[in-house]
Amino acid sequence: MRKALSTLWDGRGFDLLLVGIPLIFLIAISGSALVYNVIMSFQEVDIFSLGTFFRPFVGLDNYIAVLTDPQAWPIFGNTLIFVLCSLGGQFLFGFFLALFFNMQFPGSTYLRGLFLVSWVMPGLVTGAIWNWLLAGDFGVINFFLQSIGVIDDPIFWRSSPDFALWSVIITNIWFGTAFNMILLSVGLAAIPKDLYEAASLDGANAFRRFYTITLPMMRPTIGALLSLGLIFTLQQFDLFAAITDGGPNNSSNVAQYWAWQLSFREYDFARGATVSVLMITLVIIAAVFYVRSTRHEVRG
Amino acid sequence: MTPKTRNTLLIACGLVLAAIYLFPLYWMYVTALKTSTAMFAAPPSFVPPNPQWDVFAGVWVERHMATYLKNSLIIASCAVLFIATLGSGCAYVLARYRSVWVDVGLFLVLMLQVLPASLMVTPIFVGFSQIGLLDYPRIAVIVAITAKAMPFFVVLVRATFMNVPAELEEAALVDGNSRFGAFIHIVLPLARNGILVSALLIFMQAFGEFVYSKSLIQDVELQPASVGLSTFMGPNSVDWNRIMAYASIYVTPILAAFVLLQRKIVSGLTSGALK
Repeated sequence: MRKALSTLWDGRGFDLLLVGIPLIFLIAISGSALVYNVIMSFQEVDIFSLGTFFRPFVGLDNYIAVLTDPQAWPIFGNTLIFVLCSLGGQFLFGFFLALFFNMQFPGSTYLRGLFLVSWVMPGLVTGAIWNWLLAGDFGVINFFLQSIGVIDDPIFWRSSPDFALWSVIITNIWFGTAFNMILLSVGLAAIPKDLYEAASLDGANAFRRFYTITLPMMRPTIGALLSLGLIFTLQQFDLFAAITDGGPNNSSNVAQYWAWQLSFREYDFARGATVSVLMITLVIIAAVFYVRSTRHEVRG
Repeated sequence: MTPKTRNTLLIACGLVLAAIYLFPLYWMYVTALKTSTAMFAAPPSFVPPNPQWDVFAGVWVERHMATYLKNSLIIASCAVLFIATLGSGCAYVLARYRSVWVDVGLFLVLMLQVLPASLMVTPIFVGFSQIGLLDYPRIAVIVAITAKAMPFFVVLVRATFMNVPAELEEAALVDGNSRFGAFIHIVLPLARNGILVSALLIFMQAFGEFVYSKSLIQDVELQPASVGLSTFMGPNSVDWNRIMAYASIYVTPILAAFVLLQRKIVSGLTSGALK
């Protein structure tokens, strides 16, 4: 008995304790919520049966209800547009900034670090600020666009069905660009400088050096970053809550926000859980790619 | 082009890029200081004509920000405390060994990191209500945030522990320390900076947390500042200078902490996030 106890601070037991408690906690909360989510998606759940564990199972009814909902496919389509455009925008701007700040100059690391304030701010505050920047009548974005002659009339970003989703995408690109830039900078810094020197001696121009050295050397970083970006984009909730609330008429709604609306606005917890299961499946597939692309680092 | 002109040119470009990127923040502060008429002036003024400094005090009192910020602080501090206590040990063990089980543990942690809060909130709400945890909504939110953010903390801090030489720990063991003693007296102090920086990063995220608080806390007295901001921002709000004042009060401490410590935060983030 004494031996068993002493191993807790001086042996295997110590390690098991340190790693065991957090993992048990995580599995108890996140893991069981995940399982419970799947179970709920096959049950009939309403506000009255919320407090009971034993609810009637309804088979695939919830899935059929979700997938035949006339709003479902437009919302899934929005999710796809939101993810692709956010990812693309964050990555392109992030890569451009990373390349720029990679040209070491005095103060470059400090300036680069400042960009990350977009990432540490509360999402709701970011949403509030962009809400005002993108306002139709008095928004400063419209003022800029009008003064350089891109548009003639102000765009009602948040209330027009054509632009509502874009106002969230633009905000999300701003939000995520800095994170992309920082991680891409790490990848750029890891490329040996003599590769570029050798290529210059061989007469390769800047474009060719980028294409034949930078891009191939960055492949693992880019792969990890895109899957991480996909995961983060599918987590984005605060910006929708702050800017458009999914409207007008679901034109800017995405699946992760819809799932929450179904549960907490319509109190249809079963369908909320069903949409969640569908989306979480997608996130987990992305996560497997992410873990695979960083596997050598994880082991090393 | 001499190196000097090149540097000057690059610094200028860098400053311009930063100015464009950070313009939204500038606009938040400028709008907060504007009067209602100045706010809707066309063309907009980029320096407020007669700044309204008392707007901050007004919004502070009127929107009950003291209560909201106190709740945010309580939630974020408790969550960080739990995460740092539980997560540091987990990260240490996952950094120290290489085996199939460590790989399994890491995989599990990474998988739990990716679950979106907005999709997990339905089962968490229903589950917590069944075990009665919703009667203590702040604890419920703290538990939910802890489960959500701990994996990220583990991933970041694990990178820190990997940089602590195992030889130092072995030497301490040879000198007669127990594993527990070596961990407390040798390993933890050496990893302190990394742990603090990661904890600060988690704190910043928890301080702005929204979806769990909004869904699990019904009582206005217990809600954090993010929920308070969302109720302030109705669909037809015109109070933009006051909303921006609220936002300024809310984020300025975070921004100040970030700017002061940004070197450490950025290096902590880059060493861990891609691993």
